[in-house]
Amino acid sequence: MTEASLVGTEFTSISVAEFFYRNRQMVGFGNPTQAVYSTIRELVENSLDACEDAKILPEINVIIRRESSDLLLIEVSDNGPGMPYQFVPEAFGKVLFGSKYGLRHKRGTFGLGVTMAVLYGQLTTNYPATIITKHGQGEANEFRLLVDIKNNTPIIEYSGPNSSHSIGTKVTLKIRGDLKRSKLRITEYLRLTSVSTPHAQITLLIDDNPPIQFGRYSKMIPTPPRISRPHPRSADIELLHHLISNNNSMTLKAFLVDTFQKCGTKTATRFLHFLSLNPNRTTESLTRDEIVRISNALRNYNGFDKPESQCLSPIGKDSLMEALNRLYPSASIKYEIRGPFEWNGHPTILEGAVVITDSTPAENPSLIRFANKVPLLYDASDDVLTLAMKRINWNRYGVDTNSQVLLFVNLCSTRIPYREAGKQSIAAIPAIQSEAELLFKTLGRAIKRESSSIRRSKRNARKMREFSKYFRLIARYGALLASVETTPDTSKLVESLFEVK
Amino acid sequence: MSKGTSIDALTRIGQDIVESIMAGRFPVFDIPDRRTGNIIFDTDEQEYVIGPTSVRRDSSNIRHVKSFAQLVWVASFAKELLKNNRTSSLRDLYYSSEAFDIEFADQAESDRIVGDLECLTGLPREEFGIFPEERSSIFGRVTMQYTVKGYEGKTVDLTISPDGLPIGPALMTAEPLDCKAELILAVESGGMFSRLIETRAWERFNAVLVQLGGQPPRATRRLIRRLHKTLDLPVYIFTDGDPWGMHIARVIMSGSANSAHIRELTVPTAKWMGVTADDIVSYSLPSEPMTNADLKRLDELKNDVRYNSSEWLHHINAFKDIRMKAEQQAFSRYGIDYVVDTYLADKLP
Ligand SMILES: Nc1ncnc2c1ncn2[C@@H]1O[C@H](COP(=O)(O)OP(=O)(O)OP(=O)(O)O)[C@@H](O)[C@H]1O
Ligand SMILES: [Mg+2]
Repeated sequence: MTEASLVGTEFTSISVAEFFYRNRQMVGFGNPTQAVYSTIRELVENSLDACEDAKILPEINVIIRRESSDLLLIEVSDNGPGMPYQFVPEAFGKVLFGSKYGLRHKRGTFGLGVTMAVLYGQLTTNYPATIITKHGQGEANEFRLLVDIKNNTPIIEYSGPNSSHSIGTKVTLKIRGDLKRSKLRITEYLRLTSVSTPHAQITLLIDDNPPIQFGRYSKMIPTPPRISRPHPRSADIELLHHLISNNNSMTLKAFLVDTFQKCGTKTATRFLHFLSLNPNRTTESLTRDEIVRISNALRNYNGFDKPESQCLSPIGKDSLMEALNRLYPSASIKYEIRGPFEWNGHPTILEGAVVITDSTPAENPSLIRFANKVPLLYDASDDVLTLAMKRINWNRYGVDTNSQVLLFVNLCSTRIPYREAGKQSIAAIPAIQSEAELLFKTLGRAIKRESSSIRRSKRNARKMREFSKYFRLIARYGALLASVETTPDTSKLVESLFEVK
Repeated sequence: MSKGTSIDALTRIGQDIVESIMAGRFPVFDIPDRRTGNIIFDTDEQEYVIGPTSVRRDSSNIRHVKSFAQLVWVASFAKELLKNNRTSSLRDLYYSSEAFDIEFADQAESDRIVGDLECLTGLPREEFGIFPEERSSIFGRVTMQYTVKGYEGKTVDLTISPDGLPIGPALMTAEPLDCKAELILAVESGGMFSRLIETRAWERFNAVLVQLGGQPPRATRRLIRRLHKTLDLPVYIFTDGDPWGMHIARVIMSGSANSAHIRELTVPTAKWMGVTADDIVSYSLPSEPMTNADLKRLDELKNDVRYNSSEWLHHINAFKDIRMKAEQQAFSRYGIDYVVDTYLADKLP
């Protein structure tokens, strides 16, 4: 939670809450349909993040109740670790307050999501948000919060213990929204979430309908990624400034060694020598121009090793394959992974699975995007993965109209370069795009191998079916000719011929 | 060949199959090879016979299994016919197959499989009660006694109907009892056959008339041979004057490659009366120019072993010279009785 204050404080004087509300389409609350979807998404992602940190197998319940035609009650509860009570009001009632600014792979990034949902609910229905969370030993606490939009601070309507709540966090919001039109998106989002988070079990309950369950497909809890220091090549002016002003003054050399990964004393000395800067200068004494110079040099100096990737947590071959196998039981599935590579100093991994099914394709291949395991359902057309996919000549890999090819691609990075704060589409960073193309090509080769072996085994199966049909007829009419009562069994002979088993 | 032996032959096929499957072996058939390489013209007998090679049809071979199944089914179909004293036509058999989950691409395929069964058993399909759809007819002063079930011992006079009697399974298996005829006159067209009945030519020439209707069914050839052998009647063949007519006669005499695997069909001593090329000239028959197909056929016949004699080569060359052909009916030019009064009177003894 210590990093939380870092960024948060810088915005307090601005009415960020108001700013984001005015630009709500930027963050996914642009219309009543998207608003329902985004609310659920923000809540579910926070629950998943919380469980993942605590190494808990997530069990998440999503309840949507239509109170009147467009007044919806949305409730998401989890079995996570809960949150320290003193942070609850700010986490839910203050825009840009979050605990996830650390440099590691996370779903949440901005400290924006849940407060936007609270804000949207408040402005469309006038109801406060209810948060009940149980943290550590002792009783759970309940909060009813509103946002003071002008000042970007939480207004606590009620807070007190809640003895009936036994585990995790439950968030209840009322919003005005279009459930009918968002329903499909929501189920699709949860379905895909169960693919990228196969160890989660999510239950969706809409009004009095029977509950729909997504996952769990695997009991493997992914190891939570390590928090890492930034890589020097990711030190843009903003970050460098930030790092300098938030640390006590120290020598330049000590600052580099302390702050960055892949920068030991030797490397730091060499780097400062290259820059002709005195390693004993204090960070305090650096001029704005010098900071710019250092930032440029950090980003371009090629004496740094590539960034660590232990801070990344891809879905992984076993988990992803397991989930896809469960969702597409008769499909053939292949997994490929690329990286770690970096873009602007951010370690990044691309993983993808290709699923070949028998159904008739609408669009072939069809791409399903994930960023840090979060399914991306909107704004596909300008996404870097879409652009990369379009550059591949899929015909070459035997993608035709005979079978549907689904490409599941997950971009993992300490920084996902979203095109907007709505987190639906990834910017066309050249390093990512070229790695994505390479990933698609490896997947393409896998498709080619698979589809020819599928074709071969289909052909064989057909041959065997034909053969055994005729061979059974031989036995049947042979028996009739011989005037014997029972037709001899042919299956063993046929199987021996086709080496079944 | 008795019905019992035919049924036995079929039963044995079934037993082999069942035994083989039970022993964990894929059944195989060794069938005398009917492909051209194995069809030999026996110059002594003056007929086609099948050579010594046989082909193995192996049910474990993915390319054989379908025709293997078809063959077993045809055999079981035949056995059912025999057991129930029924007959069937090739066309019937083709259409029946569907009800038994057996598929044939067309009737040509099912006909071929019937041929395989004949080769495998060495028995003609007529023994199994399978006949072609088309029927020839017969007319003459012969009395036949039926052997088919339900008609055993009954007799029929072949002059009973002024239209002639169709040659079906019953007549094919009937035994000649009594005969007042002295020769067999087989004619190509139905028109000529009727003409010869109406004009009582059968009486005048003491002839048993047979209507061939183009290339005759095997049942007809078999009956002609039977009458020829048992009653010692010489056979005369009267066809259109073209290579096709000539070949009808030649097949009756020496058989065809298609039925090389079937014995007792041929009459090597039969005589082709005409219409010959010489007849067209000497009777000044109305004629028409030969088509390219006719001329090509003449060349083929010239290279055919069955025509490798001075007499036949003479006929072929005479046609090639005049490049004209004439139908049997061409004699009508000289009046309706001319063919009987003049032509047949000239040609028959
Ligand atoms: N279900 C939960 N369990 C535990 N902590 C939670 C839960 N929901 C929210 N939080 C805390 O509240 C903070 C704020 O959440 P919020 O969604 O606003 O931001 P975020 O998830 O960090 O980033 P983003 O804007 O990308 O969603 C989180 O950082 C987390 O510490
Ligand atoms: Mg969040």
